[in-house]
This record gives sequence, structure tokens and C-alpha cells, in this order.
Amino acid sequence: MKKLFNMLLLPAIVAVSSCGLDNYDAPESKILGRVVYNGEPVGVRGTGEAVQLQLYQDGYELGSPIPVYVAQDGSFEALVFDGEYKLVTRDNNGPWVNDRDTTVVNVKGTANVDIEVTPFYTLSNVQLSLSGNTANASFQVNEVAGGRDIEYVMILVGKTSFVDDVSYTARVDINEVAAGSTVTGSIDLANNADFQSGKALYARVGLRPVGKDQAIYSQVVKLR
Amino acid sequence: MKKSSISIFKVLILASGITCFNSCSDFLERQPDTIMTDDQIFGDAVMIRSVLANYYGRVNWGQSNSGNGYDYTILDEAGKSDGGPDNIQGYSNSLWRVYDYTLIRNINQFLQGLRETTALAAADKQVYEGEARFLRAWTYFNMAKGLGGMPIVGDEVFDYESGMDVTALQYPRSTEAGIYDYVIEECDAISTLLPDGTNQNSARANKWVALMLKARAAIYAGSLANYNNKMPSPIRTSGGEVGIPADRAAGYYEQALAAAKDVIENSPYELQLNKPDDLERNFYEALSVKDNNKEVIWAQDRIYPGSGQQTNFTTQNIPGSHAEDIDRAYAGPILNLVEDFEYTDNRNGDIRIRDGQGDYIFYDDPLDAFANKDARLGGTVILPNAPFKGIPVVLQAGQKVWNNGAWQTITSGGDEEDDAGRLITAANGPNRSSEPYVNKTGFFFRKFLDEAPLASTRGRNSDMWFPRFRFAEAVLIAAEAAMELGQQSAAVGYINQVRDRAGIQPLTSVTLDDIIQERRVEFAFENHRYWDLKRFRRAHIVWNGVVNSPTAQQYALFPYLVVAPGTENDGKYVFDRLVFSNSLHPRFFELRNYYNFIDLGWQNANPKIVLNPFQ
Repeated sequence: MKKLFNMLLLPAIVAVSSCGLDNYDAPESKILGRVVYNGEPVGVRGTGEAVQLQLYQDGYELGSPIPVYVAQDGSFEALVFDGEYKLVTRDNNGPWVNDRDTTVVNVKGTANVDIEVTPFYTLSNVQLSLSGNTANASFQVNEVAGGRDIEYVMILVGKTSFVDDVSYTARVDINEVAAGSTVTGSIDLANNADFQSGKALYARVGLRPVGKDQAIYSQVVKLR
Repeated sequence: MKKSSISIFKVLILASGITCFNSCSDFLERQPDTIMTDDQIFGDAVMIRSVLANYYGRVNWGQSNSGNGYDYTILDEAGKSDGGPDNIQGYSNSLWRVYDYTLIRNINQFLQGLRETTALAAADKQVYEGEARFLRAWTYFNMAKGLGGMPIVGDEVFDYESGMDVTALQYPRSTEAGIYDYVIEECDAISTLLPDGTNQNSARANKWVALMLKARAAIYAGSLANYNNKMPSPIRTSGGEVGIPADRAAGYYEQALAAAKDVIENSPYELQLNKPDDLERNFYEALSVKDNNKEVIWAQDRIYPGSGQQTNFTTQNIPGSHAEDIDRAYAGPILNLVEDFEYTDNRNGDIRIRDGQGDYIFYDDPLDAFANKDARLGGTVILPNAPFKGIPVVLQAGQKVWNNGAWQTITSGGDEEDDAGRLITAANGPNRSSEPYVNKTGFFFRKFLDEAPLASTRGRNSDMWFPRFRFAEAVLIAAEAAMELGQQSAAVGYINQVRDRAGIQPLTSVTLDDIIQERRVEFAFENHRYWDLKRFRRAHIVWNGVVNSPTAQQYALFPYLVVAPGTENDGKYVFDRLVFSNSLHPRFFELRNYYNFIDLGWQNANPKIVLNPFQ
């Protein structure tokens, strides 16, 4: 009987010990951050995974980056394991000067990090309002980095709180805008179905530097 | 109790003993009957030929007529009509990406074996060597146009043994100029190995196919060198894996012109003109009829009977009124394409549907709205009421009823009639619902639509080919290269040959826009549009993602029967231009789309591979 017991012991040990050793818990530590210029978050297109940062961790066999998606208000968030990470912007991506300098992030629980970028232009004094059938916008264009002309500025109205050059219900592009000037423009919404439905409307303005893949945006404002 | 435990022990020993002895049988030591050794292949001329045939079957990439036509709906040529909307907005980072080092290794293995075999005569060996190297060059070219420079491994066949140092196997990417140079040099060498005669259905490479690849690679490289560097911020990597220096452009244009000229002047092909009295039919036959074809230089051929060789493009895209099986109308050409075809005497090809006051223009027959258009239009697209296989294809969206001083639009289910017995909406459509099997653009495909009986049945399908190189491309490459080199009179001469066959007015000068326009209409559905707009760096301008942009949004043209009893317009036809209902978003080509992304898995396996811009 004891021999029988001994013979059964080995498979029992194998059976019990096979669980657990090779399974990690899901990551629970968090990197919270913003893409900023002079302490102000930079507004970008938040849909379509358009603007990304890349997270690297050294010391492992494979070195491919983890994409970190930047939301339209310039914030980002990633769930990771504790450890030391390197954060960079993606090559040529975003309305700022391409700069692939590394920001080292030490994660233990939660890490807050600001990625400093130098945009080609910023938008300030942004006024967005709705009067009657018309959405009005006024904002100032400030040149920051220099070296690039303005392709166009755009006024965008959307029916959800996600507004950018792809997600919108009405859009006006203004060309030949000079740096330093104040731009005013309006969109006639009289024939717009989303305006007529009477539901919520949101708006923001954006500026596309020549030859960049992305525009810089103001923060989204709720019109009604 | 003790006795029973011993017997369990004995049983276990016995069981393991049986397992042990059994494994010594030679049951598993058989010769595999699906894996051939090199000796078996290269000792037999028939086997060598079938291995080569296998490679021909593995080089079909990009947009083609091999399926339901959805390849054509991604860009601005056709719209998806089958069921719900396509939801396409941007383009994938791996759209039509080619990365096939398995094929390149297989071809290199083949070349090794071929060079040693004694089963073939020297002349055959030379031709096979040329064909294999051509398919390899074609593979590199297809990689280059999506990814830029990629590792060039020459004739090397890599072998990996466990534990060896892999760094010797890791090749860095070539420069973008380097990979085009390699393709061009290979084509020069290959063209001396291959015969200069034609072959059945242009299915195999010959000298002229190699020269066409040379011309195409050179014109691509030339335009990349030229137009990339004219962008506000050119797309390039620091190592030149992407980005060709501007000073290389002229050299490439000269190579392209020389190769294209050689084909135009010396090859057995021509701008096919068998039916000068019916240019529409002539253009259709030049592309879509294989017998006695003098236009097509290299094609992916298909045969019937034979298993799995056919395409169901005809089955799935035939007009409902002509269908022989349950499938029909999966996709249809869009108005954007139709309007890019010029009128014989007017370069603006917009369909005239409203007069100066904004009122409808009335046509006795819907087909009259397309009178005096470029003959290629009718050879590329089935227009409303145009015949297919001799029977008119009725396309009618509904009726426009004159009601108290205003037009009222009436539509119905397919093939319903009003009280007076007049058709409301045709069975073919078009309509704006998500109902399957009904056209939604107002047009059907003509090019590559097979006229053979039963070619639209699931059981048979079609043996329609897919031309990869044809004579008109040689002419338009020559026109483009001459234009870029400042040889206006030569450029005008070439482009007018193509325009003359289409029955449209000759040009007196040629610009890049003329080249883009001519290639757009001549090569619709032939896997050129996407690559052309990329190499001219126009894709992000044409597909700018702006709602209702005339080029990025897809449009449909709906014909209506006029019901206005007692007026002269009763029974005539009018048209509405509508945003295509089955593609909700304008096309948006972003700067990152100019080059496919490198898969990070490739980089993990070979750290010498650098990433592409925007990645």
C-alpha cells in the first residue's frame, strides 16, 4: 500500500506544482503623462492612433517598442510592470520639431512624466462660440520653432467630444495665414444635419505646419 | 493486499516494455512522398519546369482582378456595392506590403540546382536561369515600391544550423537607390538570356518583359528622386534606405526612356488597333481578350478547365440582369473615375447633368450623356444602358416626377413599375440601401469582365488574365521620361499615340498632370493608380481626407426616368450626382503611408534592419 502511495506521489507533485510558476499577474503600475510645451499640454488628433510615443525597456532579448497613444488633450497613459523604461516620440510624428531624445521613466506604482516638445506653432486666445446658425472662431497663431510655413488652419465642429481633421461634421480650412496674426472665421451650419438635430456640438481649431503629418489643435470646447 | 500492489507494478513494467520494443520497428522510417530531394528535381527536365511554374504562381501582389473587386474600392476607382458600407478611411501601414525572402531563397536554391543539372540542354538552362532571375528581380521591385531599400542577398542560399552565429545571416537594408539599381542591372543581364519571341498568352517572361521591368523600375526611381525632394520635407532615412538623391533623377529617366524605346521600336508588340471603327470594343479587346492579343507583354494567365486557376471577378461583379448564378454587383466603378475620362474635344470630363441655370439636362437615352467621351471609358466601364454581350444593362435609380412645380424623386424595390407600366427602379439598381447584389454607384466594371458563356457561374468562373505589362505602358513611360528630360516634342509624340487610339484630341505639350491623368484612365484597375500617386508624391494631396473633396470622397451618378406627362421632357432621363452612400468617409492618405512600416518582428530577428520614417 505504501509503495502504491509512493508511486502516486510523483504525478501528484507534478500536477500541483505545474500551476502558477510561469504565469505573471497583469501589469498594474501606471505611467501617466502629458505632452507639453511650456507646461501647457499640446492638443493633437486623438483618433486613429495618429500620435504615438514609444516605450522601450532594455535588458530583454527583443527590443521592439510598446506604442503609447496620445489622447487629444495631449495626455497619455500606459499600464506596465515596475521597472526602468525609456520614452521617446515617434519618428516624424506629431506637430512638433522631430526630436528623438530619450526620457527615462522609473516606474514604481505610478510615475508621472511630462514629455517636452517644441511645436512649430501654438494657438492662443482661442474663442469658440455658437450664435444662431453660425459657429465662430477666433484665435492667435504664434510661431515657436520657426522654419516651417503654415499649410492651413482649420475650424472644426463635431458631434462628439472627439474632434479632429478626420472626425468632424463641419470644417473650414483657411489658407495663407501669417504667423503672429489673429485668425477669425466662421462656419455656416444652417444646412448641417447634426446642427439641425439639436444635439450636442463640440469645436476646436487646428493648424497644420507644411510637411508635417499632424496638426496642432486647441482643446475641445463644448458649443452646446 | 500486498499481492495486488505487486501485480499493479508488474502491469506497469509490462506496459512500458511493450512500448519500448514496439519503437524498434521500421514503421516510421519511410521515404516521404511529398518532399523531393535535389537529385529528384534537378535530374528531370519536367520537374525543373514545374518548380519554375510554381514561382510564377507566387508573384501576384497588389491590386488585381483575382477576387470580388474590393481591391479596387480601396482607392478612387470603384465602390463597394455588396451589403453594408466599407468604412475605409485611412490606409493600413502594411497595405500591399511584400516581404518574401522565402521566395527569394527558393529561387536561389533553384538557380544553384539549375546551374549544376545535366538534365537540360544549355539553351533551355539559359532561358530558365533568365526566368528565375526575372521573377527574383520582380520580387525585389515589389518589395521596393512598398518598403524602400531592403536587404539584397544576391545568389546566396542561407542555411541555419542550431547554435551557429546568426550575425553572418543578417544583412542590412540596401539604399532605396541601391535596390532599384539592382533590379535595373539584373534586367539588363536577364534580357540577354531570354528569347525575344512571344509565348502563349504572354504568361512567361521574355526579353521584352525584362526590359519593361527595367523601364518601370527606372521611371519609379526617377520620379522618386525627383518628386520626393520637391516635398516641403522630403521623406528619407539617414542611411538612404528611403529617399533617393535628387541628382540621380536624370540618369534614371534616361534609362527608362532607352528601355521603353527599345520595346516600342523593336518588340513584336504594338498598340493594338484591330477595330479602328469601334475604339471602345478595340480597347476592351486589347485588355480583356487573349486570342491574337498584340498589346499585352506579360500577364498572370488563368486557364479553364483546371482546378483553382480561375478568377471569380466576373461572377461577383456581373450586372444582375446578366448574371448566370446568384452572385452579382459586389462592386462598381465610381463617378470620380468616369469623369476623369475626357471628352473627345474637351479635357474637362465632367458629365453634363445641369445647364447654366442649374436645371436638369434631359437625355433621350441615358447613354447619350456619355456621348463623345474617350473611347476607353466604354471599354473600362459599363455605362447606363450600354450593351454587355449585346444586351443593354439597365441602370435606373427611380423616377423624377414633375409635381406642382417641383421634382419629386420616386424609388422602389428592384424592377417595379408604376401604374402606367413604367419602370421605377431597375433590378440592377442603383440604390442607396445596404441591400446586397444591387449596384450602388451607377456603373459596372467592363474591363476584365469575361464575356464567355458561364464565366459568371461559381462552378466555372472565368479564365480572364491579369495583364502586368503592356505596350501602352512602354509608350507612356517613354512620354513621361521624355517630358522630365525636357524633350517636349518626343513626349507629345508618345502621349498622342495613346490618345489617338482613345479617339481624343492630341496634346501640344505635356505636363506631369497630363501624365497622371493619362495613366489614370488608361490603366484603371491595372494596379497602377496607388503606386503612381505615391511616386509622384501626390497621394496625400488627392486623398486628403476632407469630406466632400472632389477627389477624396467617392461619388455615384444616378439616372432617373422623367415622368412629366404633357411636357416635352416626359420619358427622358436626368442624372443626380450623389455622394456614394456605401463609403462613408473620404479617403485619407497620410505621410506615413508613403512607405509601409517595417514589421518589428523582422527587426527583432535582424537588428540591422532600420525602421522606416514615421514609424
